[in-house]
Amino acid sequence: MSARAVLTACALASVLATVTSAHADVAVWHAYRGAEERALVELAGRYEAERGVHVDLLAIPFEAYTSKLAAAVPHAHGPDVFIEAHERLGVYLASGLVAPVGDAFPDVDVTRYDATAVRAVTIDGVRFAVPLANKCLALYVNDALVPESPSSIDALAKRAPTFPPGTYALAYEAQSAYFHAPFLHAFGGAMLTDDGRFAFASAESARSLAFVRDLARSSAVPEEPSGDLVTKLFASGHAAAVISGPWLSSELGEALKYRIEPLPDAGAGGGRMRPFLTVEGAFTTPTGATRDEARAFARWLGGDASAVVRATVGQQVVANVAAWSDPRVAANAHLRAFHEAAANALPMPTSTRMRAAWEPANKAIQKVLRGDAEPADAVLEAQHRFDDATRPPPAPASPTPALLILGALLTALAFFGVKRARAPGFGAELRASVPAYKYVVHAAVAVVALVILPLTAGALTSFFAGPRDAPRYVGVENYVAILTARGGDLLGHGSFYVTLLVTVLWTVTNVTLHVALGLTLGIALSRPLLRLKTVYRVLLIIPWAVPSYVTALAWKGMFHRQFGAINAVLKALGAEPVSWFSHFSTAFAANVATNVWLGFPFMMVVTLGALTSISKEVLEAAEVDGATRFQRFRLVTLPLVMPALLPSVVLGAVWTFNMFNVVYLVSGGEPDGATDILVSEAYRWAFTRDAQYGYAAAYAVLIFGLLALGTRLTGRLTRKDAALA
Amino acid sequence: MSAPSSTRSRSRTGAEIAESVAVHTALLLAVAFALYPVLWVVTLALTSGGLGGQAGSAILPFPTSPSLDNFRIVLGGGGGGSRAWLFWQQVGNSLVVSLATAFVAVAIATPAAYAIARFRFIGSRAGMRTLLATQMFPAVASAVPLYLLLDALHLLDSRAGLVFVYASTAVPFAIFQLRGAFVTIPIDIEEAAMVDGATRTQAFVRVVLPAARPAIAVTALFAFMSAWNEFILAATLLSRETAFTLPVVLQRYVGEHDAAWGPFAAGAIVVSVPVMALFYIAQRQLISGLTAGGVKG
Amino acid sequence: MDDVSLQTESALRVPSSPAHAAGTSTKSAVAASPRQARCVMRGIEKSYGTLPILRGVDLDIPEGSFAVLVGPSGCGKSTLLRVVAGLETADRGSVEIAQRDVTRMPPRDRDVAMVFQSYALYPHLTVRENLAFGLKLRGVAPAEIAKRIAEASSMLGLDGLLGRLPKDMSGGQRQRVAMGRAIVRHANLYLFDEPLSNLDAALRAEVRVEIRRLHDRLDATTLYVTHDQVEAMTLADTLWVMNGGVVEQRGAPLDVYERPRSRFVATFLGSPQMNLVEGVLVRRDGQWLADGGGIVTPIDDERFGGALTEGRAVSIGVRPHDFEVAGTAKAAATLRVEIVEALGFEAFAHGWLRASGPRIIARLEAHHARRARAGEAIALTVDPARVHLFDPSTGLSLDAHASRV
Repeated sequence: MSARAVLTACALASVLATVTSAHADVAVWHAYRGAEERALVELAGRYEAERGVHVDLLAIPFEAYTSKLAAAVPHAHGPDVFIEAHERLGVYLASGLVAPVGDAFPDVDVTRYDATAVRAVTIDGVRFAVPLANKCLALYVNDALVPESPSSIDALAKRAPTFPPGTYALAYEAQSAYFHAPFLHAFGGAMLTDDGRFAFASAESARSLAFVRDLARSSAVPEEPSGDLVTKLFASGHAAAVISGPWLSSELGEALKYRIEPLPDAGAGGGRMRPFLTVEGAFTTPTGATRDEARAFARWLGGDASAVVRATVGQQVVANVAAWSDPRVAANAHLRAFHEAAANALPMPTSTRMRAAWEPANKAIQKVLRGDAEPADAVLEAQHRFDDATRPPPAPASPTPALLILGALLTALAFFGVKRARAPGFGAELRASVPAYKYVVHAAVAVVALVILPLTAGALTSFFAGPRDAPRYVGVENYVAILTARGGDLLGHGSFYVTLLVTVLWTVTNVTLHVALGLTLGIALSRPLLRLKTVYRVLLIIPWAVPSYVTALAWKGMFHRQFGAINAVLKALGAEPVSWFSHFSTAFAANVATNVWLGFPFMMVVTLGALTSISKEVLEAAEVDGATRFQRFRLVTLPLVMPALLPSVVLGAVWTFNMFNVVYLVSGGEPDGATDILVSEAYRWAFTRDAQYGYAAAYAVLIFGLLALGTRLTGRLTRKDAALA
Repeated sequence: MSAPSSTRSRSRTGAEIAESVAVHTALLLAVAFALYPVLWVVTLALTSGGLGGQAGSAILPFPTSPSLDNFRIVLGGGGGGSRAWLFWQQVGNSLVVSLATAFVAVAIATPAAYAIARFRFIGSRAGMRTLLATQMFPAVASAVPLYLLLDALHLLDSRAGLVFVYASTAVPFAIFQLRGAFVTIPIDIEEAAMVDGATRTQAFVRVVLPAARPAIAVTALFAFMSAWNEFILAATLLSRETAFTLPVVLQRYVGEHDAAWGPFAAGAIVVSVPVMALFYIAQRQLISGLTAGGVKG
Repeated sequence: MDDVSLQTESALRVPSSPAHAAGTSTKSAVAASPRQARCVMRGIEKSYGTLPILRGVDLDIPEGSFAVLVGPSGCGKSTLLRVVAGLETADRGSVEIAQRDVTRMPPRDRDVAMVFQSYALYPHLTVRENLAFGLKLRGVAPAEIAKRIAEASSMLGLDGLLGRLPKDMSGGQRQRVAMGRAIVRHANLYLFDEPLSNLDAALRAEVRVEIRRLHDRLDATTLYVTHDQVEAMTLADTLWVMNGGVVEQRGAPLDVYERPRSRFVATFLGSPQMNLVEGVLVRRDGQWLADGGGIVTPIDDERFGGALTEGRAVSIGVRPHDFEVAGTAKAAATLRVEIVEALGFEAFAHGWLRASGPRIIARLEAHHARRARAGEAIALTVDPARVHLFDPSTGLSLDAHASRV
């Protein structure tokens, strides 16, 4: 063996060594921010100092957390340990993202944690996480406005007239089922039964809905309250009390004097308000669960010393019992209040069904609050929605017909290929094509590998249904279900056809406005003697430069019923404020306004470019011919510019058709899913309903088919097909 | 000049003034429309932590007590000391990824677009149709297969992998753009170069490419921008904080129940400024480049 | 394989190229900077899809000769030029430059220089860089490049423009740069593709003369394509008139003008166009007459020799310039004047010889023009030697000596 081989072996060994030592690290993912993140960082440092094991922390944006876990863990790229709310356990378990924590939570530790927390992380006697912290809702009370604790929400609301004008008795995110849950429980209702059936459709929950509707009608609570707004109202003393979680206190300044109490009774016939309890735990992934270091860290993280740090530094309501006897923790009144509230809370069900329950419940609550439905009707509709989303997956189909069709297609393809190849002149044509292929080969490989293959794979999932780890071939069942509106009313809400209609309306309206505005501005900016041309041009391009997920949120804020700038303008003009997201037309208009804002600069720039190609002489000729300014525009400029704009218009239409961001972020489909377009509907099926990827993929394929057909038809009609295809 | 015509010209100037006032009014309204939401973002960014009193019902967005705290938070990487260094590293990541995306997209798309514009070859029409078709397929369906693909290529959690993914979406658009640009470049100059002694490739590189510079610049700008602003793929594919790009960092200010809107807005402005600067620098090219791209089919 | 057999076949079809080539290359010794080469094309055929553009063209340009390809648009002349340049490949036939078969060679290996109709200046390069571009590609030494640029720029008056970009120059300046780019190349063969068509009339006349002067000075073999008959007539050593993808007639410009081989060539060359009327041949008093459409004129029977038979239908062609106002002589025709275009030194009278006949144009001397009024009749005579006769069905000239290709 040569020296070189020895060297190689040494190098290899050292690489292996680094790999192993790297493997001794514990990779931990979390979505914590602020104080909680600081506590975690401090603990990781301590752990490394104590045990000599490096803890590799990764903070992930909340929005990407679940999808990232779902993408990474099955391929062993995930963390060893991740911190997550216990209610996702069901979903994660179904997708194989978690494994029992084993000796990270031995039997001897059971008494170490709150009993409810232990229950929350246990399924069928198997423990899946080390409980870290409890999160639930409590009542924040403004000391100045409400010196003594209110006996019930009803009593608090009745005091509204005694508060200064513009001050609400109570603020909470009334449109969200999570915040409504304490009311639901107060009236004896529930979201799910213990065996996972939808329990929201009950007389009790109708009563709870009627209760909160009356609160809203009495103006004791603000309309359309977002979390941000609740914070603002309480922080500025415009809300006597708010229902919120531990996260709120970090947003409140020192100046405000307030206290936190467990939720009181609802009053008016309602009993004790019991919020949902979320237990944040350290979960182990299937890889992490096999690693001693990972389990050891998870156990340590739940331990007494760690808990004290998490409580004192991270302001967490820790699930560890012993930490509460630490004087520093016990002295924190806010934490204690939440600790107390947690004892009274109901652990959120871990069933996968829970995921499908939120959307119907949210919609029912919103409908009732808007006065669009009576509580009893709303809960029945919620039941229908829930059944719709959780209908059993279609029966597996035999793949034979598909294989036969595939075979026939391939044969036909081969036949036409051979026929084409044998056609006269094909050889010469092919030879003539060779130089061109040298230029396109990289692009072809890149596009096929990175675009077409994933899209095809994605499209193929539309023939499957069921959980991700065990999909079943179901043939065209997904398509049948979509096209028959899942057996429901073909023109009812959420039906494919209605959504398609909305999508077409959405596309046509947007593209028309984009072109109209872009064209007008482009023409205005192309006036030869215009002053400040450059300034205008740069300012008008700005909407294009700011990331759309930021500005879409700014627009949503501007459309707020009570506090949005647009209603403020309307009020200043003496008009009635509009409840933008309560009606299809106004919600649609809000979406359109946002999207037009985002898209007009592109059309404007394209127009500016196209206008430079029109000779001045043609316009002068028209002027000499006696055409008025408008006639010149309509009869000369427009026909000359349109062909130049057309490819951009077609592409713009395609993008608008699939413009997910705006619809999702601005109206969120409100009211009642009416403003959802096909692509946001597909997204909901994939991510917020029962994780029906196959179903979502079928939507995607249908969208693709419609667009392909649409562009072909427009191409035919305008005879400009060649310009794009 | 005779008297009647001079009165006529005077009255025309009057009409022109009126028209110019109308045009400026319309443009100012458009500018107001364009800037209003942005001003909200700016106001939010300049309003530090305590939201005191600012319920947002003001018609004119204006920070009551402007402060740069949010910018300090963002530029400090959401913490002090080494976090500040981290933030600049993340700026670097964004720059590297976006520039590489622009480069790769343009490098791949340019020859292909040229071939499609200039050569008649078997499959060119089919290819263009396929490219257009890829624009129609909602991305919802392809995220998971793409992840598997990158995994197979061992490109997960790397900036290179991210660049590949971004380039793949940027390439079809770049091909559309550039094909349009190449079509408008007179074929004569290539032929002249070939008669002058250039090979087809030399003619392409030394004559066509320089002539297509504005369009190439714009195409690169678009690719850069798409990568610069992208969030969800970056968050899904990257698993090291030191590899994060700015939008991922920005999104970290939004939590499940609460959001630090101030730093979020400040971060949005930090992210937008380079793009705005590029737009400003490239505005001429933007117009001529887009023309060439969008226009002649 | 295919190509080779095709080439031999076409070579066989045209066994020997016209022999007159040898005579013209006498001045080749002087001003030898551009190398001279003979360019021969045999049996060139080219079609786009099913549309034939060139249908078997043979062309021979002797060393140092200035050949002009002229014809109406769509006749294939530009395509032929591009085949010579190598920008198009012929379907059949061969191209030979300086005894090399270049049929399958790319343009760069053919050593030809070309001036494009659009000038095709490289928009991103200055004039100097434009001129140097081809030389750099060919690896010419920098000193030599500088020398040639200096030469060409003083020749064309580009000295003040060398640092400019194309977009900062006038059309005439760009045209000169385009020529300069060809000149510096010292190529085997110079190709011009309608180089003057984008210039205004005055400039065109000026540059036309300049081109001819440059050619006389450089003595470079040149193939020049135009649809403008004035350029064709004034520039060519040899004129090649193309129509419908074939060469219709070839010869010295004046020969072609005076003895057009066909009705097409006759009407294509000359401005205003040759007048054509339909008639018959008659023999009266031992004299052959062409009679028809209002013209009765004796003809030069020697020119038409054996083609003359009594009663034969003919197209009678008379150029406007070949009419004379009849003094005392017997009038050959009487023109009923509709309008008179007076140009000062001459005039054109438009009118009819007969009520239902074709429109006729006659050139008048200036002094006759003063008297001509619309509505008047003018008696005209024709020089019998200037009467052209064509077969009405084939369109070919009955003139036995009209140059044949």
